[in-house]
Amino acid sequence: MLIYGTQDMPSWGDPQSPASVHVSPYYIKRSMIDTETPNIVSSVLADYRGYDTMGETTVIFTAAMVCFLLLRRRDEDEGDH
Amino acid sequence: MLELLLSKYNYWLYVILMMIGLYAMLAKRNLVKKLIGMNIFQTAVILFYVSIGVKTGEVTVPILPYGHHHGHEQAINVAHYLNPLPHVLMLTAIVVSIATTGVALAVLILIYRRFQTLEEDEILKINQETGT
Amino acid sequence: MTNQFPALIIAVPLLAALATPLIGWRNSRGCYYWAVFTMALVCFFAIGLLRSVILNGPISYHQGGWAPPWGIEYYVDYLNAYMLPIIAVISLIVIIYSKHSINRELDGRQMPTYTLILLMITGLMGIVVTGDLFNVFVFLEIASLSCYGLIASGQDGAPLATFRYIIMGTIGASCYLLGVGYLYIVTGSLNLADVSQLIPPLYHSRVVLSAGVLMLVGISLKMALFPLHTWLPNAYAYAPSSVSALIAPLFTKVAAYLMIRVMFTLFRPDFFTTVIPATTIMTWLAVTAMMIGSFYAIAQNNLKKMLCYSVVAQIGYIALGIALANKAGLIGALLHILNEAFTKGCVFLVVGAIIYQTGDCTIDHFKNLFRRMPFTMGAFTIGVFSMIGIPPTCGFFSKLSLLMGCIVDRHWVFVAALLISTILNVIYFFRVIKVASFEEPEADYGRKEPYDQVRMEEVPLSMRIPIMLMAAGILLSGIFSSTIAKTILIHIIPAGF
Repeated sequence: MLIYGTQDMPSWGDPQSPASVHVSPYYIKRSMIDTETPNIVSSVLADYRGYDTMGETTVIFTAAMVCFLLLRRRDEDEGDH
Repeated sequence: MLELLLSKYNYWLYVILMMIGLYAMLAKRNLVKKLIGMNIFQTAVILFYVSIGVKTGEVTVPILPYGHHHGHEQAINVAHYLNPLPHVLMLTAIVVSIATTGVALAVLILIYRRFQTLEEDEILKINQETGT
Repeated sequence: MTNQFPALIIAVPLLAALATPLIGWRNSRGCYYWAVFTMALVCFFAIGLLRSVILNGPISYHQGGWAPPWGIEYYVDYLNAYMLPIIAVISLIVIIYSKHSINRELDGRQMPTYTLILLMITGLMGIVVTGDLFNVFVFLEIASLSCYGLIASGQDGAPLATFRYIIMGTIGASCYLLGVGYLYIVTGSLNLADVSQLIPPLYHSRVVLSAGVLMLVGISLKMALFPLHTWLPNAYAYAPSSVSALIAPLFTKVAAYLMIRVMFTLFRPDFFTTVIPATTIMTWLAVTAMMIGSFYAIAQNNLKKMLCYSVVAQIGYIALGIALANKAGLIGALLHILNEAFTKGCVFLVVGAIIYQTGDCTIDHFKNLFRRMPFTMGAFTIGVFSMIGIPPTCGFFSKLSLLMGCIVDRHWVFVAALLISTILNVIYFFRVIKVASFEEPEADYGRKEPYDQVRMEEVPLSMRIPIMLMAAGILLSGIFSSTIAKTILIHIIPAGF
């Protein structure tokens, strides 16, 4: 079914595909002016879509907390396995 | 059909990769192998996204050469740079995938402490014997 | 001021979750008070947002000041504003309840537990309030990861159940992400409103079809719709009591909200009824879920597992309401989400109270519980009435609306299924009430750590009040259900129903 879906997709590397002409040109053109960062990926990641990056950092924090919750050995568990 | 295959072979590769991951998740008996299958599946999705942003022709990575001063809207030819948005999304997705793998490994440690084995059928047998 | 609420409603629990380790360093039990304080603030924001949307219409908030579709937009319309107070209020009540329960079951680990609880609330709020498709994925993962951690900290079979949940949940989230990717390929945008405008010319493109199916499958996995529900009974049954009480009413319902969003806002409703017959398939799956959930529930002897199968059945109700794709059905589904939140919250809190006092929740051991724990079992009875659908609880009105939705479209099979599953509900719940009220107590049996100090009496006040609040919520939402439907739910119905 997944392959069925690919039949209508734009070909690989098509510069006129909607993904490349709708939203992205704005990022490429205005990245230097809005954010003064030559690296467009960074400017999108940290500025235009900084909220996603905050979410991603939260994900890491969550994973750390989960490991902390689960893996802490309490003193009475210490023993021979 | 052949032309279809040739122009979109990248998508087919990722679909195959996804199916490998799915097979590993469902058919393998060892819990760690299931986890690796999950990781393969997520990686395939990530590769799929990255391949969206490719453009043919004289294209380079989405980093503007230093020397463009602010204030000048220089003629930055959009068609010369790759699409940055999928890369951005996938940075986040890679991080999420790692976090999920980490949590799953922590849970596996807990399982190992309890059952001393990581094979699914042995664990189910132990569960049945103890009547859980 | 309410302009800033959409951002505050995420920022406050997130910052509170980050601050909880600092508080927990000094005093492990102080985390409870911090969590209660934070949730009270979040409730204030959520209700403020609801009020603002009712008075002024939908709110749009641009994160970072970038206009959509280049930045991330938070769009709060009636559907969001309806879900937010539900999540906030239920969480507040459960967190107030959780003090003694978590102290007994997870002593020494309160700090990570409350951090993860606050993070999960952040994630759930984020899914509900955002208007950007990828942002949904990020918050979905935040909520899921904290959920995995909280469930895995239970006893006995919890880690194995969690592992299964992790595998299936991640498949679901990845399928959803893949669906978003397919949509991105053909539209180039990630903003919900933007994509929903760009798709209609492309309805018959295979990419959009695949995208729709993928997103539905992914969300169904998270929502525990049959046949993708197998992770739910074990995962929720082995979790600690407060955690089950927090997750069971909320998580699957937020996934149901996401399904409503995808089906009706992102893709127009006619896409799923005409282009692919997804709604038909979904209605049959929903009916199967109702039947299977109820049948399995009858066979259970463990009250918690029975309730988890009941959750599966109720998700079938909600999915049926969504898939009927008509006005009464959708109102029924939305009212049922409200009903389920309060009812499952109430019932799981009761189970937690029983576990707190007696150490396990096997139904056969419930002899004469009514006399020992009158308040708790009274609230349980109200919850049971709501699940069966007896007025004036909310369950009656939501079931009535669902029935009318089926009758309008002349789906007599579904009407029959609804009535049969109601009767099955009666069977298994009244069995519990019968054992708890009419049979004589038997001699004391040996109890496990740490419940050996058992007294068969009423639970402490901080647990009793939340249980009664939940029961009151069930009754109130039932009495005011027509008001709710008229002021809020009417506006959620998409045009053309």
